[in-house]
Amino acid sequence: MDTNVKLKKAQEMVEKISDLPTIPIVASKVLELLDKPDVELEEVADMILTDQVLAARVIKIVNSPLYRSSQEIKSVKRALVYLGFRHIRELALTCSFIEAFQGKDGAFDVMTFWEHSFGVGIVAKIIAQRARYIDTEKAYLAGIIHDIGEVFLSYYYQKDFQRILQEIKSTPYKLVDAEDRFWGTNHSYIGVAIAQKWNFPPEYCEVIADHHEPELATIDPNLVAIVNLADLFCSVRQLDYGGREWVSFNLAEEKAWDILKKFAPHMAKLDVERFCYELDDRVPEVQDLVKSIFEGMVME
Amino acid sequence: MKLADKDFELFRDYIYNLCGIYFHASKKYFLESRLARRMEETGITSHADYYKLLKGGAGGAQELKRLLDEVTTNETCFFRNVPQLTALENKLLPELVEVKGKIGFRKLRIWSAGSSSGEEAYTMAMILLEKRQTLLKDWIIEIVGTDINETVLAMAREGVYNSYSVRNTPEFFRKKYFKQESTEKFILSPDVKKLVTFTHLNLYDDTKMIFMKSFDFIFCANVLIYFDTASKSKVVQHFYNNLQPYGYFFVGQSESLHGVNDSFKTIHFPGGFAYKK
Repeated sequence: MDTNVKLKKAQEMVEKISDLPTIPIVASKVLELLDKPDVELEEVADMILTDQVLAARVIKIVNSPLYRSSQEIKSVKRALVYLGFRHIRELALTCSFIEAFQGKDGAFDVMTFWEHSFGVGIVAKIIAQRARYIDTEKAYLAGIIHDIGEVFLSYYYQKDFQRILQEIKSTPYKLVDAEDRFWGTNHSYIGVAIAQKWNFPPEYCEVIADHHEPELATIDPNLVAIVNLADLFCSVRQLDYGGREWVSFNLAEEKAWDILKKFAPHMAKLDVERFCYELDDRVPEVQDLVKSIFEGMVME
Repeated sequence: MKLADKDFELFRDYIYNLCGIYFHASKKYFLESRLARRMEETGITSHADYYKLLKGGAGGAQELKRLLDEVTTNETCFFRNVPQLTALENKLLPELVEVKGKIGFRKLRIWSAGSSSGEEAYTMAMILLEKRQTLLKDWIIEIVGTDINETVLAMAREGVYNSYSVRNTPEFFRKKYFKQESTEKFILSPDVKKLVTFTHLNLYDDTKMIFMKSFDFIFCANVLIYFDTASKSKVVQHFYNNLQPYGYFFVGQSESLHGVNDSFKTIHFPGGFAYKK
């Protein structure tokens, strides 16, 4: 099916929702600040601090398990320094998105969704490191937000989504294909429709749009390939939305693997089996991270 | 003695690189307790010294075998590798049946290599028996279990198990295919036994290995870990040759064939993987 048709359909489905969450006020002020050419890091940190929930999330996300070995980051300012100016925008948007969908359990609960998402973020970062992709933070954040369309569908189109999940239960059918069949579009297009409304930067929109079709990417195909592979690995190693779909793959046939090997030929030698076993060991860390991001933050 | 994280990683990496079996972080205490047994036996008092013995001390290779015995024994049971069985039942088997059905070749051949007392082979038999009226109606099913050890083969042929062997067996299968004589005695149904043949085979024996032809599924769990890399490659090449083009080769839950055979493709599925031609 034509991608333009799918995107149009997705935009219609998003437009239909009148109470679509908007970016929380402090986050949008942060984004405004970031547009000022001479903004100081201090100013941004102070703004974030006016929202305690946002501040706590920023710190927790930056302190993901991968960083713990060095020094734990305890202040918003240090978190921003660590992350670098160029990533504050995505981080603010990601936090806003978490906030916007907090407690909005639909066809699946939001925690399971974020466990998969943060899992993909962390695995994307690991792959990025191994492939010597320059911006590992970008891989992490892009991994976290790649599936935002899913949480929208699960909540706003709960009944239909439930039906789809029921249909593919214990059959070897990919969720994305089932969505296409049912709606004529899928969570990638829904996700990008939302991301554009929220003004996510273009590379991130591309990851959301193409993470199931990495060969379509033009802005940063390597980033899309990294997130695609991270998604595949998480889907077979217990960060799989609680086993809602049955994913099976052979790396040799994956387009993302070809893209990545062209970019980083040494990846061809990756011990994939060991890589999987190491990921198994990381699952509890991912679950702890997600729990900590939501802990004490239940909305009154 | 408490196994420090650093030492755990040392042992884990050494064992993985040599034997192709990975110790998950969750198995640290298990490894710790087995190391303690071996250290007591050998009179070694520190992990570092024991590591040195494994790595190059006199009798290191022998000691590694003993350690592997400690960490893999009693692991055999029915329905042991659930992700593998789920994938096989829901996806790999139906696909295979479709391909073979199309060419009118209604025969399924399965090999449990290093079958020990038969749990793996019989688990397959039970799963396939459940499909006798549906997916596998009018199919010929042949399951072969082989082992080098005559004692375990005799146990397999006898088909009498204890509660430990059936600990993972779903209630449905336990009721249907076992007769429980006492709390510790489970007698396997003749219907299941009928489906499996057990024979003696040394996986090193090339002259015999070439006759193990045309299998659709081959299982070889926790056997290759005892072989050195060259023998491993040779044995795996036999499995490769004896596997049907659309068949699958399975190893144990934490095993890896990385660096052993480049011909196989790795197919990932939830909770595990299998190898394919």
